[in-house]
Amino acid sequence: MTVGIRVLAVEDDERIRASVKLALEDEGWIVDEAASGEDAIAIFAKHPADVVLIDIMLPGIDGFELCRNIRKSSDVPIVMVTARADTHDVVAGLEAGADDYLTKPFAPKELAARIRALLRRVRPSKPGHSKLLFGNLEIIPDEGKVILNNAEVELTKTEFRLLCELANDPGGVFSRELLLDKVWGYGYFGDGRLVDVHIRRLRMKVETDPANPTHVVTVRGLGYRLQS
Amino acid sequence: MTDIFSDKPDARYRLTRTRKLIRTSVHRLRPRRIGLRNRILLIFVAGALLLSSVLALVTYSFTRSNLVDQRVSTETNQAITNARRTQNDLLRSPKEILIALDQGGSAHRIIYIDNTWTGSSPLFSRQMIPPALLQRVQRDQKAASMIVDSLKGQALVVGIPLPRINAMYFEYDNLREVRDALQSVRLALALAAIITTFVGIALGVFASRRAVRPLANAAQAARAIADGRLETRLEPTDDPDMQALTSAFNDMVTTLQERVERDARFTSDVSHELRSPLMTLAASVQVLESRRDDLPERSQAALDLLSSDVARFQGLVEDLLEISRFDAGAIRLVLEPLSLFEFIKQAVSVSSLPRTEIRCDDIAALVAIRGDKRRLARVIANLLDNARIHSGGKPKIVIQLADDESPPTNVWIVVEDDGDGLIEGEFIKIFERFSRGGAAGRRAGTEGAGLGLALAREHVTLHRGRIWAENRTDGIRGARFIVELPIDTTQTHDEHTHE
Repeated sequence: MTVGIRVLAVEDDERIRASVKLALEDEGWIVDEAASGEDAIAIFAKHPADVVLIDIMLPGIDGFELCRNIRKSSDVPIVMVTARADTHDVVAGLEAGADDYLTKPFAPKELAARIRALLRRVRPSKPGHSKLLFGNLEIIPDEGKVILNNAEVELTKTEFRLLCELANDPGGVFSRELLLDKVWGYGYFGDGRLVDVHIRRLRMKVETDPANPTHVVTVRGLGYRLQS
Repeated sequence: MTDIFSDKPDARYRLTRTRKLIRTSVHRLRPRRIGLRNRILLIFVAGALLLSSVLALVTYSFTRSNLVDQRVSTETNQAITNARRTQNDLLRSPKEILIALDQGGSAHRIIYIDNTWTGSSPLFSRQMIPPALLQRVQRDQKAASMIVDSLKGQALVVGIPLPRINAMYFEYDNLREVRDALQSVRLALALAAIITTFVGIALGVFASRRAVRPLANAAQAARAIADGRLETRLEPTDDPDMQALTSAFNDMVTTLQERVERDARFTSDVSHELRSPLMTLAASVQVLESRRDDLPERSQAALDLLSSDVARFQGLVEDLLEISRFDAGAIRLVLEPLSLFEFIKQAVSVSSLPRTEIRCDDIAALVAIRGDKRRLARVIANLLDNARIHSGGKPKIVIQLADDESPPTNVWIVVEDDGDGLIEGEFIKIFERFSRGGAAGRRAGTEGAGLGLALAREHVTLHRGRIWAENRTDGIRGARFIVELPIDTTQTHDEHTHE
């Protein structure tokens, strides 16, 4: 169920903010508005949202900076709004911690669909698989915990879901299309860069040496695989 | 009775016809314009020819008169010596005449003594002595010489009076040596003239090439600019004459470039500015749409118009933005290997005609390409939209290899419809921006801004492919649009490399 979701919309154009608020409220959600990054940080501290929508072009601190700022303290899903899909902005935003992106102008329905996909729960693992071990990496899906070398690792919700998808079939190869579908709910035309950047982010956290990954490995020409 | 004015219009007609005829003949007579290069070449050749001929002629005439003069004086001196000796010999014995006369060499001699002509050779007789010379020697008792024309060319006749024995001595010698020498000179001069002319031609070719090289460079640069490479400039030169052209040309291109960039920026800025209000419009319309059932009928109709045009407007702004990115050269393709058949199936499923039939043979089904799948999907969607809106026909997609080459290099994606087809002159024009083609005008299509095919062409070109339109050749009425893309032979289709 997605009723009662709290969305923080960070957008400097008042009219866009108002119309998006109207449209998302039609979904039955609560929408907080912020006109700048500074406002957003203050509001988020007071009312932690379930999802944050950030326009990259903001006065004051920009969308990337805001993204990094929120990521310091929260694993909340972040949807970024960019002007174009083919710029470096997309990769930069994802690397700053965003989970997905939309290009302006987007339909609020599309935004709602993206948010729903990001808020999907981790699929319940098979019975007896409450604890998954990959060498020095331990995943406890039901508790949302990941432990590397006996120390808990902080993953964002999307990173965690990506890891759990990979862990569902240990050693199995996942193509980008499959991961895009399972984690983000995208079809054939999803952006493969989402997977690539998230895998990169995941490796920074679950690999002892991210440059030479031993758990999340690339299967050249096919996709990715999780192994011990 | 015939009307005398009846032939007047005819006469006037004939007059105009005559005038026209004259004008065309004059026009025909006027020499065709000769190119700069050929003109320079012509001047060089003509100059070389003139110079060498004049030089040859002058040299020849000098040499000739010199040679002849020299020969005449040598011959005369020789004749005088001979004459003296003959006189001395004859004083001793008249019987010695013939012996005295036969002194070898090419000369023939004749002597007049005691009213008798005695000659050394039948080739020289008395009749061959010109009367003027004879008279001068006989009457004036003076030595003289004269050049005469004989059967074998010119010859020299020298006459010397021998007053002591009351006789006359004549010597005849053809000028063969002179003639031979002159012939050699003529040959040498002709050769020199020919060589000079050829050197002139070579120089002319060199000079004309040099002269037009800056023009050729400018032409090449202009072509590059016409092809859209606006950063092209002419190289600066030290030549003060060319510098004016170079700097004027470069200034022109700079101005042009600034203008094109300004235009592109303007389009881009406008589209960007339109995006925010569009965003608001789209979101607000969606809120209204979710309450459509609560609205009165007239408001519903208005809302439907509003929402469909907001969507259309959104598409137009997207297309304009994409076009302005092309113009600014700011497109970055997100290339990845794609299985063409799978890609086309997916692209069709998200288009406005998701049920379009796709035909693909077994070999073409294995083809992989490298492409930006979202942009190529737009190409397919635009072609299908075009078939739906402008041609009014039900399209079909055929995937086939472009040629029989092995390994295949190109693949065709053919979108064919059974609409009205295209009329002559539309095949190229329909790919122009905001062009809607004749069929579209007739159908008064309300969808699309006429940017779809222009964008498709830009996208395909960026993928190093080609796109063109033609009418169907299989006997069915309708148009077909062919997208030719290079086949990706470097890797399997499911390898990802765009990281």
